[in-house]
Amino acid sequence: MKRLALLAIVIGSAAVLGCNKPADNSATDSATKGNTASSVEMPLVVFAQANSQDPWRQVFDAEMRDAYDKDFSKRIKFEEQDAQDDPTKQMSVIETLMLKKPKVLLVSPVDESLEQTLAKVYDSGVPVILLDRGVPGEKFTAYIGGDNVEIGRQAGEFMAKKLNGKGTVLMIQGTAAADPTKHRAQGFMEAISKFPDIKVISGDDCGYQRQKARSYMESFLQSGKPFDAVYAHNDEMAIGAYFAIEAAQAPKKVIVGIDGCQKEVVEMIKAGKLDATFKYPTPGVIGMDLASQIVEGNKTPQRKYVLPTEIVTAENADKYLAENPNLAK
Amino acid sequence: MARALFWVQRYQGLIGLAILLIVAAFLTGSTFFSHQNLQNVLNRVAVPGTLAVGMTFVILTGGIDLSVGSMLALLNCIVATWCRSETPLILTACYVLFLGALLGGINGAIIGWTKMQPFVVTLAAMVSLRGASFLYTHNSNVSGLGDAMTPMQQVVYGLPFSAWILLIAVMLATVVLNKTVFGRNVFALGGSEAASRIAGINTNRIRIGAYAINGFCVGLAALIFTARTNNGQPGAAVGYELDAIAAVVVGGASLLGGVGSALGSLVGAVFIACTDILLTLKGIDDKVGLGLKGIVILLAVYLQNLGRDRSQIRSG
Repeated sequence: MKRLALLAIVIGSAAVLGCNKPADNSATDSATKGNTASSVEMPLVVFAQANSQDPWRQVFDAEMRDAYDKDFSKRIKFEEQDAQDDPTKQMSVIETLMLKKPKVLLVSPVDESLEQTLAKVYDSGVPVILLDRGVPGEKFTAYIGGDNVEIGRQAGEFMAKKLNGKGTVLMIQGTAAADPTKHRAQGFMEAISKFPDIKVISGDDCGYQRQKARSYMESFLQSGKPFDAVYAHNDEMAIGAYFAIEAAQAPKKVIVGIDGCQKEVVEMIKAGKLDATFKYPTPGVIGMDLASQIVEGNKTPQRKYVLPTEIVTAENADKYLAENPNLAK
Repeated sequence: MARALFWVQRYQGLIGLAILLIVAAFLTGSTFFSHQNLQNVLNRVAVPGTLAVGMTFVILTGGIDLSVGSMLALLNCIVATWCRSETPLILTACYVLFLGALLGGINGAIIGWTKMQPFVVTLAAMVSLRGASFLYTHNSNVSGLGDAMTPMQQVVYGLPFSAWILLIAVMLATVVLNKTVFGRNVFALGGSEAASRIAGINTNRIRIGAYAINGFCVGLAALIFTARTNNGQPGAAVGYELDAIAAVVVGGASLLGGVGSALGSLVGAVFIACTDILLTLKGIDDKVGLGLKGIVILLAVYLQNLGRDRSQIRSG
């Protein structure tokens, strides 16, 4: 009897798997089958996201969903799949999504190993729009993303002004192999190089993680080396550094982060705990807009769209919160 | 009833797969059974499938190997580095297959000599090998392989090259397990280590063999993986050991050892790959998929344990 019950569970769970989305599915099915003039099948735009875990990408996703519900649901059908930062998983996701014959592929590649998979999609005639991360080669329709070198440069200029051109900055670094890390360091060093009295200490790779940055900051404070400011390659690490400094009751430091995608960060800036962050803009909504326009045939896309950054300080924190309702909690 | 249970236990992977395919037919119609999707399934299953074939040997001995994800990452980086320096692919392949077998064999030897649990020994290997792959690549990805992996990216007689590797691995494993003395000893060791020893089997040697074969399969998987990504990533393949174990278990092997087959593990891997693809096709959030996978694994293990004598758990 127990065994029969088990079999029932097996079949039941298969049925659940099957029935999870039948409503949605039958709607599109009937739309395709019922070839009356009124029921038009919406062109499908698919999005292969690298991961949906980190706060910046959560905002990225939330803004896209919001924009889709508000503006784009009448123009396109939109589907998103996440690859949990595994490139081979993303390859399979893209190959599977292609079976649905989408009109445009939006993709934020996990890394450059996606090149061949995306080239195949591009060669099959489906436009490929890269969001945030690029791949080598020419086989994509457009790239949309921020400019990390420029962001680093602006952060450097802000820091120099804050320190009046004199002092020591500890740079807490992101994941060593990642492009944003290199670019955010490069731009910053470029700007700082104009100020001979500012010294930069290259800190450890803290993997863009708050907890690692906190531990690193704690041991750095222990070492007793003097410093006046912290430049972290993202806000999470800036927060980690702040907590360590606060807990050690060390004198206040200038702390600057990057990303500006969390409410928590903006609140901390408002409270004077952090000094500034620079928005790393999310490319999702612009990507969706571009995809819709390509589908409707009224736009030849540019090759590259560079999104501008924006500084957040105590002065404009409230305005920033109002303008960006989808910030991560 | 007992007989029915036996058949369900033996063919649970196939039964699950059959149900899944029927569901897929209802939900996606011809899309799921298109030529394009067949390629897609094969591409997706190649790495976890090959890992599952190797893992079958280890699980048959009553052991487990948690180090295969890290080992795959290390071998992936080595393949990429050798290819970048324009070493002939065949030499690279021989080297990583040898290295995989060696690393696996070392795991097996440590387990045999120290009498520590396989779980602990391979957990240690998982940590160390991950560190080794980051050290080997100096924390960065290895790219710029050019055309070095092209031979492995071809479609041969209608199937991707990687699928041929997988199919041949399954066939060889089946022959080794069923037609050789070594294979029978692997089953015997998993059935009862004490009894095997009394029967005069050199259990340490058999265990080293099983783990070495597993390492060899990791080498194969690393070649397939590199052909697919065309680069080397020290952080790659996190959690792949669990996918491999899941495939073996869904395919009807018992984690207590002594029961299972390479073909079953292949079916298990195909089942998991098809589930993932079906979820993607239906636009269902992949976290739902993770939840479902967990339920499937629980069910599979529960089914395997039904009616089995607890005393089968080996006393070491």
